[in-house]
Amino acid sequence: MHIDTVHIMKIVSLLPMSLKVIIVTNVLLILGFVVGKLALYKFENAVKFFAYYSVIICILFVLYFISIIWFSISNLFAGNAVYSAIFPIFLFLPFIIGHFASYEKVHFYTNIQILTLIISLLLALSFI
Amino acid sequence: MGQSLDFEFIHENQCKRAVLLFHGMTGSPFEMKKMGRALFDADFDVYCYCLPGHGTSPINIKTVRWEDWYTDSTMHYRNLTQKYEEVYLGGLCMGGVLALAIAAEYREVRGIVSLSTTLFLDGWTIPWYNFFMPLGLHTILRYYYSFPEREPYGLKNEALRKKIAALQKRNTEALDNYPMSCIYELLKLSKFAQKNMFRVQAPVLLMHAKEDDLTSVKGSQFVYRNVGSNIRKYIELEDSYHLVVMDNEREFVFNTSIDFLNSLSDYAPADAKKLVSIGSEAADAY
Repeated sequence: MHIDTVHIMKIVSLLPMSLKVIIVTNVLLILGFVVGKLALYKFENAVKFFAYYSVIICILFVLYFISIIWFSISNLFAGNAVYSAIFPIFLFLPFIIGHFASYEKVHFYTNIQILTLIISLLLALSFI
Repeated sequence: MGQSLDFEFIHENQCKRAVLLFHGMTGSPFEMKKMGRALFDADFDVYCYCLPGHGTSPINIKTVRWEDWYTDSTMHYRNLTQKYEEVYLGGLCMGGVLALAIAAEYREVRGIVSLSTTLFLDGWTIPWYNFFMPLGLHTILRYYYSFPEREPYGLKNEALRKKIAALQKRNTEALDNYPMSCIYELLKLSKFAQKNMFRVQAPVLLMHAKEDDLTSVKGSQFVYRNVGSNIRKYIELEDSYHLVVMDNEREFVFNTSIDFLNSLSDYAPADAKKLVSIGSEAADAY
């Protein structure tokens, strides 16, 4: 299968910056949670690792939230009310998941978190 | 009552007054041992149990909720009220918050000694990335993250710091880190205590190190300003960090606590020093 990289680059260059940031942070967050889940299972006592790991995930979350707000506001001004209404749901989901999570079910809730991030990524990709 | 652990202590002399002590977050009754001994020598029966989630596997502390600490502690308190005429509460760090929370519900608590009261985590050893804490606390990350405990381990006395650090690793069940899920529960307990602070009618003695590495003096000052009791005393310590019951001024902490409790007690020894300035000297400062 021939991949037209020039064409892909052209599409990417046309995307709004906020959507690019949503996609990139989404992918990194998914990878981060998958790595965290595996590491938590194997190296639970690696306190320093998890300290810096958590800081990185927090930074990614902040970027993710800012890009969602940015994307929603810019769509609101562009007259795309539906677009601007859908994404903010993902602002609240990490906190809703966090509210219900417990240590006993941490892997289950991490899976839910990963799933919501995948949905958010697919949604972002659907705007291309 | 749960099974007793070997580092929990009970000093009983069948007198009419008792002090129930609570240890701090991720600590153990080991840290309260010297204070317990000093109070016992001053004719108080002393009890210090291990809080739920502490003292066993580190995993247990991640599964515990603040309601477990509160329920377990009130159960111990109620048991003591059956046996003693006067029951006092004392605690270090989270233990101080627990003592205040119990006193808010049980008006018959005779007095409280709250040391290094941890209502906020704003001491000088809290890492630079602490501003991310709200995000970490309220998402699933709180089960991943632990604050690594670092020098000075709550102790200003360097010789003691080395000794205690080694002892902690060998002989006690204290943890070398603070799981964020545990901090989350502590902050929930703290909110509960802050909301009910005005209900506390028992006399309160607060002692807090000026240079506390884990929690600044703001916590004790908040209690001092908002507590409902008329008798309250607040002392700032000059030569200690967070673990005031082990640090340079521990003897002062013990003696002041004993004097304070004796001043409230109907069963104090005749030669016990009576406090005359309660509630006045620190009240002017805050």
